[in-house]
Amino acid sequence: MTIFTCADTFEGILCGVYDAWTSRLGHENVCLELADTGNLRLFAEYRQVEEDPKKAAKVIEAIRKKAGQEVYERVYRASLSCEEQKADRIYRFLIYALYIGPEVVNMLQIPAVYELFRMNRFVANEALHMIEFIRFSRTDGGILFGTVEPRNDVVALMAPHFADRMNAENWIIYDERRRRAVIHQAMGEWIEADLPDDSFRQRLMDSSDQEEFENLWKTYHKHIAIKERTNPRCQMSHLPLRFRPHMTEFQERRAHSGGRAPD
Amino acid sequence: MLIQQNMDLKEKLAILADAAKYDVACTSSGVERKGRPEQLGSAVYAGLCHSFAADGRCISLLKILYTNQCVYDCKYCINRRSNDVPRAAFTPDEVCRLTMEFYRRNYIEGLFLSSGVLKSPDYTMDLLYQTLWKLRHECGFNGYIHVKAIPGADLILIERAGLLADRMSVNLELPTAEGLKKLAPSKDRSRILLPMRQIQRGIAAQRQGIVPYRREEKNVPYRWARQFVPAGQSTQLIVGATPENDYQMISVAEALYKNYDLKRVFYSAFVRVNDDSLLPALPGGPPLLREHRLYQADWLLRFYGFTSGELLSESQPNFNIFLDPKCDWALRHLDLFPVEVMTADYYTLLRVPGIGVRSAKRIAAARRSGRLDFADLKKMGVVLKRAFYFLTCGGRMMYPVRMDRDHITAQLLGEEKRRAWDIGQKDSYRQMSMFDDGFLNPAPTAEDRSAAILGQM
Repeated sequence: MTIFTCADTFEGILCGVYDAWTSRLGHENVCLELADTGNLRLFAEYRQVEEDPKKAAKVIEAIRKKAGQEVYERVYRASLSCEEQKADRIYRFLIYALYIGPEVVNMLQIPAVYELFRMNRFVANEALHMIEFIRFSRTDGGILFGTVEPRNDVVALMAPHFADRMNAENWIIYDERRRRAVIHQAMGEWIEADLPDDSFRQRLMDSSDQEEFENLWKTYHKHIAIKERTNPRCQMSHLPLRFRPHMTEFQERRAHSGGRAPD
Repeated sequence: MLIQQNMDLKEKLAILADAAKYDVACTSSGVERKGRPEQLGSAVYAGLCHSFAADGRCISLLKILYTNQCVYDCKYCINRRSNDVPRAAFTPDEVCRLTMEFYRRNYIEGLFLSSGVLKSPDYTMDLLYQTLWKLRHECGFNGYIHVKAIPGADLILIERAGLLADRMSVNLELPTAEGLKKLAPSKDRSRILLPMRQIQRGIAAQRQGIVPYRREEKNVPYRWARQFVPAGQSTQLIVGATPENDYQMISVAEALYKNYDLKRVFYSAFVRVNDDSLLPALPGGPPLLREHRLYQADWLLRFYGFTSGELLSESQPNFNIFLDPKCDWALRHLDLFPVEVMTADYYTLLRVPGIGVRSAKRIAAARRSGRLDFADLKKMGVVLKRAFYFLTCGGRMMYPVRMDRDHITAQLLGEEKRRAWDIGQKDSYRQMSMFDDGFLNPAPTAEDRSAAILGQM
């Protein structure tokens, strides 16, 4: 068994696919793993994948040409997944996809296809939930700032929605787990950037004076519920607890760290 | 009618959200619209839910009344003239400000504006229209707007509001004219149906391109021209305020879908907010299970190709409280089952309990390329514990099943009963029983308790 270790990015995984495929060792003798996932396996040869935009571009071209845009988008979303085996799952899926073509997305009876379908669905659903549940606060300077803590790396999937909806606003979506943000300038483009230092956050929160609307929203949220129909279990299944720390209406008082109250 | 003049925005919001919450329609679906430069907002076809209230209902739109003052005296309504409740009214500016600021913070998907009837229907509708105009043209709001058409208002006002809104609704409230006469003496069924028909005609005319509706705004590209009620219209029926049975309710809903092209009919379990001798007493709380069954049937009508006559009849006018309407139908038609997964057409698959629209589509797409077995069906989202009584894969059933109505009913009931119980009797505890009593003893009510204490058994 030869194991190719690749970086945890879309390009990294595609480079891994390229190296594993062109190694001519046979699909059953190779395996893809993300770098730094901890355990090493016995009786296996490890090869480090070298990242090269050309390799990734070749794989992208092959996917688009042979399997179509839909498959390409699904592979991209699956590459944002939080699962450790995602690289190998994408590889196993591409074996079928490049052979069968665009029809492959319907063949859920093939285990490799189902695994990709499942990852894609998880990522897409979470992106949708984040779009729905993210809350922005507005700073004095007119910047909207929202924090999320998604399991999968979905901020890049959220950005086009808000870039279209709030094109005349300056906004930042900050992924607290990965310390990465999407930054949008009014009437301009959005970019994704790593922000290892989060002192900027404190500055943004200190300058925001939006208690008025946060209080109004809490009032509304409380009053819109019908007392006779109270049903916390139903509420919980639609809006699981893990989303709530960052949502204005479930925060007891204004937390300065954006999400959770300081200890 | 007394209005405190110096009420602040928070108090008004509390009063007018409280007054609006019994209207159930809160979806933001039905229209896909891209953002516009310099404006705020877009719309997503499937709709987005931004939060969930303590009653488990979604909060998609800012649902408020413009005012809770009303000249009518409908028995079921909290805002009726004869109730002594605090009254308030927004100004158009306040509504715009709330909507824009909430929307910007991603709290809401748009505005749902309704109102009590202030002075006259025309006067009220004009206020709603002015608010919407301000929101669209002065604030540059491009998000979702749902507005009520006030029955009795001038048709021109309704048409103009419709050009600014995405969805309009007129509430039928009670399914029969007699019910309406009894509980809402100042309303008239024909006056409710008139604007509904008008909106339907406006939508149809636009679809066929007959009416040049698009010259409302000048100097605007063609693709941004406002459309008339692009997300369609909806209505609401109150469940359990009058003695109509489920068959009547679902027939009315079916007729509305067919004759008025409605996008949605909403069902609202009656909450007894007023003490009135004409209203039914509901010791067990609002009829939530009945409302749930009606929604299930509504989906069967709209997406599964069922008709109301298949689900219920004069001889069986109410839904089975133990079984969902589709299971109930399938058990009455066991001669049509089991069906073969590989060969049954899409609409036959849809009629199998445990298979929904998505799983039926997945099955139809997947079986072209190879055989499916029960494990594959499970992956595609089929609820096998209900479906396996009615399906074969490659000519075989999952387990040997006796195709006997009583037998399958008994098997299905165990699971269904528990779910029905959860909806009907939430928050009550269940006495563990060594004997299968169906777990259907309701929790003791306050009267039972006092009777037990006082020894009046």
